[in-house]
Amino acid sequence: MRINPDLTRDMLAGLALDRQQEDQAIQELSTGRKVNQPSDNPAAVAGLIVNNAQTSAVNTYLSNISSLQGSMQEADSTLNSVITSLTQAISLAVEGANGTLNQTDRNAIVQEVNGIQQQILGYANQSFQGNYLFAGTAVKTQPYVADSSSSSGVSYKGNDGVNSLDIGDGQAVPTNLPGSQLFTASGSDVFQALADLSSALASGSNIPAAETEVQNAFNYINAQRTFYGSTLSRLNTATSFLNEENLQLSQEQTNLVGADMATAASQLTQAETALDATLAAGGKISQYSLLDYLT
Amino acid sequence: MATLFGALSIAVRSLYAQEGALDTTSNNISNVNTPGYSRELPILNEAPPLDTGQISIGNGVDFDGVQSVRDNILELRIDQETQQQNQLQSYVNSMNQVQSLFNETEGAGISDALNQFFSSFQQLADNPTDIPSRQAVISAGQDLAAAFQQTGQQLGSIQRGVDQEVGQTVDEINSDTAQLAGLNQQISSLQGNSEQAGMLQDQQYTVLNSLSKLVDVAVTHANNGSLTITSTNGVPLVAGGQNFSLSTATDPSTGFQDIYSQGTDVTSSFTGGQLAGLLQARDQSIPSVLSNLDNLAAGIINTVNGQSKKGYDLNGAKGTNFFQPVVQPTPGSNAGAAENMAVAITDPSLIAASSDGTKGENANALVLANIQNGAVVNGETATDFYSSLVSEVGNDVSSATDEQESVGLVLTQLQNQRSDTSGVSLDEEAANLILYQRAYEAAAEVVAAINSITSDFIQTV
Repeated sequence: MRINPDLTRDMLAGLALDRQQEDQAIQELSTGRKVNQPSDNPAAVAGLIVNNAQTSAVNTYLSNISSLQGSMQEADSTLNSVITSLTQAISLAVEGANGTLNQTDRNAIVQEVNGIQQQILGYANQSFQGNYLFAGTAVKTQPYVADSSSSSGVSYKGNDGVNSLDIGDGQAVPTNLPGSQLFTASGSDVFQALADLSSALASGSNIPAAETEVQNAFNYINAQRTFYGSTLSRLNTATSFLNEENLQLSQEQTNLVGADMATAASQLTQAETALDATLAAGGKISQYSLLDYLT
Repeated sequence: MATLFGALSIAVRSLYAQEGALDTTSNNISNVNTPGYSRELPILNEAPPLDTGQISIGNGVDFDGVQSVRDNILELRIDQETQQQNQLQSYVNSMNQVQSLFNETEGAGISDALNQFFSSFQQLADNPTDIPSRQAVISAGQDLAAAFQQTGQQLGSIQRGVDQEVGQTVDEINSDTAQLAGLNQQISSLQGNSEQAGMLQDQQYTVLNSLSKLVDVAVTHANNGSLTITSTNGVPLVAGGQNFSLSTATDPSTGFQDIYSQGTDVTSSFTGGQLAGLLQARDQSIPSVLSNLDNLAAGIINTVNGQSKKGYDLNGAKGTNFFQPVVQPTPGSNAGAAENMAVAITDPSLIAASSDGTKGENANALVLANIQNGAVVNGETATDFYSSLVSEVGNDVSSATDEQESVGLVLTQLQNQRSDTSGVSLDEEAANLILYQRAYEAAAEVVAAINSITSDFIQTV
């Protein structure tokens, strides 16, 4: 049988293959990825794109949550101050109801109650980063203004709107309570209660009824305030869930396209050994033919 | 009746024959590294015997020329595999450029811009009256539009580059077929097993192999040694001494070159060689990627615009188009949507974040952000559609590359087989050299012997 006299073609093909494997291993090691272009593993790249979109969404939700936490905490602590003020008003009412007081003493208390009303008006107009917290969705409109034509002395300029924000896929939370559901809800209007207390103390009559009205307003705001507390705790839960998801997504990403360094390193060694062997064999491809022995 | 001079002429004929054989060996050794060279064998035949009445006496050896050792079937197989190899090669080269536009493993590109864009709407929902947040939405929209624009433009320029290569390939095909027609003419005018015929045949096969790299060919061997060549689908290329040039003309509807043979459009009839690979990339794969990209862009533009118009801007006015609306060149076609994508508004207050006209209301911004999770094209989300587009490109390249590798292995094997048959082995030639040298020496000895005998005879006389 005649043997192919040209051995270089096989050797060159072998060398090309070895070099390609070496190149692949080096690329994996230097980029840290086993997939460096779509054709390396089309399915993994498709998975990576979806993974990136999910990661981006998770990070957006996390940033939504952290900015929402700021305004929620601000609103919560503002309501806390309102409650402290109302507690004060209640004790003033109790004090005013005491029959041993004369009108001069009660007039002094009226001043204090009016001060508390001003204070709460300030709280109700609290803003966070330029947006009013209790104006509904009309965040640029100051919600409460002094209004002498109103029986409570203030009127509400905000709206009843509630915004919401996504904190997860298909999970939205309301981000605010409008002032009309907090301070000027029908049936428990804080400003009306304080105005009534003030005029009761000034006239010296109906003080217990006014006290009850303030007490009711206090109870109502206290109950409404739980909205902020429970939303904040929901945000905390969502944050830890999203952080967990982020971790999983990044693990999934590593599984999809990350290089296994140990494998890549051993592949590199293998490719180098094979290359050395091919080169050594190639160097030995007979430099001799029969012609060398004919003299 | 045998004569001394008869023996002398037999010996001289042998000297000629061995010289011819030595020439052949020497020619083989000289061409040991010549590409496409097929080794030659001297054709030595017993000379017709001399009839002298009742007995016939051998008349020595005749040198009847040389014969190239070649397996025509094998050459054909090599040409076929070469066609496939080069088709895949040129296809992979073109599509590799395409896939580099979708290199999502680097974390850049369209999908990143898409994520940023929808995320910017989420951030706007956080603070719908905030001008910097609104500005961020416009920037993210511009980045997304730029990503689509660039990818669309680059796809177009890759396509135009491939089109240029098509033109060059056609020129090369014409030059090869002209050469083959010339060789056909030369070969058919030669007869017998002359060295020249062998040389011309080697050239024929070399040019044919180069033609096979360019286009799929079907070859018919005529008795006079000339080759009739057509494409596998019957486009005539060479017949006898005539070659049929291919020509190109720009198709007004695509702007790319169509290929004509004898006035007929044969663009879609090629199945192998570089030409077929280029045409496949230019006319099928790249247009398909481009149209998917256009549909995706159009889907995003239409959905975002539609939702924008449902909302209200910061001034309380009804929302307008966020992106420039898609202009369909023909009904139902989104061609150019990616390349022409642009943000329509520059004033950040015009973004329709509100659903009821209240400044601080964010419901429309939320709906806009959630377009990311809704169907925008072919019932798929933008991310899903884009990821299948990218994996399709990756699949095209990876399957063609795999195929190319396996064809490459077959080709190497066939070429080895060709060398088994036709390659020059120096060992063999050295052995032949000894053989012919010894035979020459022996024949020379015979001449010397006859010389000595005749000289003895003359002296005796």
